[in-house]
Amino acid sequence: MTVATKTLLGRRTFLSAAGAVLAAPMLGTRAFAYNKPIELVHWSWLAASDGEVWAKMIDAFNEAHKDKGIQIKLQLVPEEQYTTKVLTAVATGQAPDFGWGTAGKAAQLARDEVIMPLDDLIAASGLDLADFSDTSVKAARYPKYDNKMFMVPMDLMSLQPEINIDHVLAAGLDPEAPPKTGEELIAWAKAMTQMADGKVTRSGIMMTGSGVQPTVTWGIVAEQMGFQRASDDLKTACVNPEAGIKAMEWVLALFDEHKVSTRDVTDRYKAFGTGEGSIFWTGPWTLNGYVNQGLNFRTYDFPNIGGTQKTYFEMGGLELYKQQDEGRYEATMEAVRWLSDNSFLWTTVGRGASPRKSILANPDYKTAGIPWDKRGAFVDGMSFATILEVPVLDGPDFTIYSGGNLLAKTLENVWAGQKSPAEAMAELQAQWQKSLDKG
Amino acid sequence: MSEQATPASARTDAVPIDWAGYVFVAFFTIPFLLFNVLPVLFGGYVAFTEWSIIGAPAWVGTDNFTAALSDEWVRNAFRNVLLYGLIIVPGVTVFGLLAALFVNQGWPLSAVARTFFFAPYVVSATVIGLIWVWLLDTQYGLINHYLAYLGLDGIPWLTSTDWSLIGVSIASIWWDMGLAFVLFLAALQDIPRDLLEAAKVDGANGLKRLYFITLPLMRPVISMVITLQLISTLRIFSQVYVMTNGGPAGSSDSPIRYIYESAIVRHSFGYASALAILLFALILIVTFVLRFVVRER
Repeated sequence: MTVATKTLLGRRTFLSAAGAVLAAPMLGTRAFAYNKPIELVHWSWLAASDGEVWAKMIDAFNEAHKDKGIQIKLQLVPEEQYTTKVLTAVATGQAPDFGWGTAGKAAQLARDEVIMPLDDLIAASGLDLADFSDTSVKAARYPKYDNKMFMVPMDLMSLQPEINIDHVLAAGLDPEAPPKTGEELIAWAKAMTQMADGKVTRSGIMMTGSGVQPTVTWGIVAEQMGFQRASDDLKTACVNPEAGIKAMEWVLALFDEHKVSTRDVTDRYKAFGTGEGSIFWTGPWTLNGYVNQGLNFRTYDFPNIGGTQKTYFEMGGLELYKQQDEGRYEATMEAVRWLSDNSFLWTTVGRGASPRKSILANPDYKTAGIPWDKRGAFVDGMSFATILEVPVLDGPDFTIYSGGNLLAKTLENVWAGQKSPAEAMAELQAQWQKSLDKG
Repeated sequence: MSEQATPASARTDAVPIDWAGYVFVAFFTIPFLLFNVLPVLFGGYVAFTEWSIIGAPAWVGTDNFTAALSDEWVRNAFRNVLLYGLIIVPGVTVFGLLAALFVNQGWPLSAVARTFFFAPYVVSATVIGLIWVWLLDTQYGLINHYLAYLGLDGIPWLTSTDWSLIGVSIASIWWDMGLAFVLFLAALQDIPRDLLEAAKVDGANGLKRLYFITLPLMRPVISMVITLQLISTLRIFSQVYVMTNGGPAGSSDSPIRYIYESAIVRHSFGYASALAILLFALILIVTFVLRFVVRER
């Protein structure tokens, strides 16, 4: 979920962030002192612009601990193969010490004891859980597995609309009065859409005919309309299916009724970057790339389309993998604690909003890193980012941010006109119910 | 000589085993057994289990096969791969043959043409896929750009359920044509010149020489190209994965991509193995049928 571009790291920004990173060990955090040098193996799938920032975090850790007998070796693993490689590594006793994870998507790994419950390790390391937002701690837990924490939250992400300001101004719209409702959103989109021979050549709302974008759009709008993929007790699939059907019709109308989107876009990131779209809801991982290429855009809060303002929530964090040598957990947890305590750089330049109250309260938080008019909605908008993952074994089939899971594939038939919304909803209900019954 | 002495005598007379031969063979046999035979046998076993790498596979009998046969996406992928076969195999065969016939004329620049026709084959399928995603882009692709000069509307090559399979097939034909071209060219150059010249003296025009001499003599190569291409097409993956990831709505999906998704993305290795066995059976059946249809008479 990244765009491959250069990192935004101006000299002042970097010095400001690096200062905070280097100063942190002097602010009461524990110091490492190991009798035996240890090299922790860390796997990451962050390979693009956010990956460069993460590499600087690891470098900062290694620099701060060069005489303390602990170092981190960062290894990149492609995201799609990540879990498979972790499983293989654990099965052969060669697992990395820690790696990246997404909250709510690792129930199977928790069940199979591939990732470790962290409550005791966190307590022993001195990591202050009270400094984390309640949402982040809740999202890091798996209710089905003793409600234990299986990750240390590192960043909070939401989907918010990035809007091309050149298009806004050309259409005579006011960038200080962004759309807040579904009606206003469609009006803005219509004003910015360009057409030729009856076909959309520039999308008012950036969409694709299949994959992630229509799926996540449906997911957000459906939840705003009152739909739930699973009941709160994780026993019943598809609460209020009529709302889900209505949300599918809303997405279809973007293409066929309002004609503000086209199914013909293949690469949504590139298309928005090259001005083929005006409004693009996406995540903070895109910021570096678009800022560096000089795109004139701002980010706003996701409009209230369905009645309750909500948007997609995603949390990235660090997970500890099962080791044959259990003595490594303590050192790993210390390293994770340090990275969390010093995640100012990560959450101002790298990705997402900070889950740490102390970092959010830092007076430099809004001025460091990427300009606030581009980054702010991703921080302030976390207050209504309440569409979480469904933490069950088949959780990946429930996620709305997917281009190839059960949900995305089922909905693709609707976008392609091969199934009616009602048929798709019936299929989802049947499949998801089976998944929930499985646990 | 006593009964007891016979075995000792036999041992003395026996030809000594030359262990050096086994050592030489072992360099091939051991890796072959370890990395080819064993994984195939293990895959066959896993197909009857539920397994996600961690822990021991749990025996589920034929459940994976039953589930596969009732899986709408499996049926869709297998239907698609047959359609791919119907488009790509004739496409590669016909265009490869035409290219070989053209180069075989020995006209000026035929050496350059030979390089151009073969060049795509040495490029990886991933690169081919990425290039064709650009070429076939609905709004800004070169193909639609030139179609517009002919007054034709832009075709949603990769974004429409009606066209995506054709879009992927076009890229595949362009990529796969290189090998067929080389095989056809080699076969053309093996045809005795005196046969063609005799036909010419007898008044046969170019088309007649092609139909009555060239094509019949190339029959074994054509048969081989069709068979190889069909097997290759039934295993189509890279282009599909890079260009459409099987979409939209599974319209360009293929069995191998679905197997990849089942195993690597969903970690259902038992189910993926069952699908692989079904695909193997399909390839076997189609190959036998094809060999029967194009057999030498």
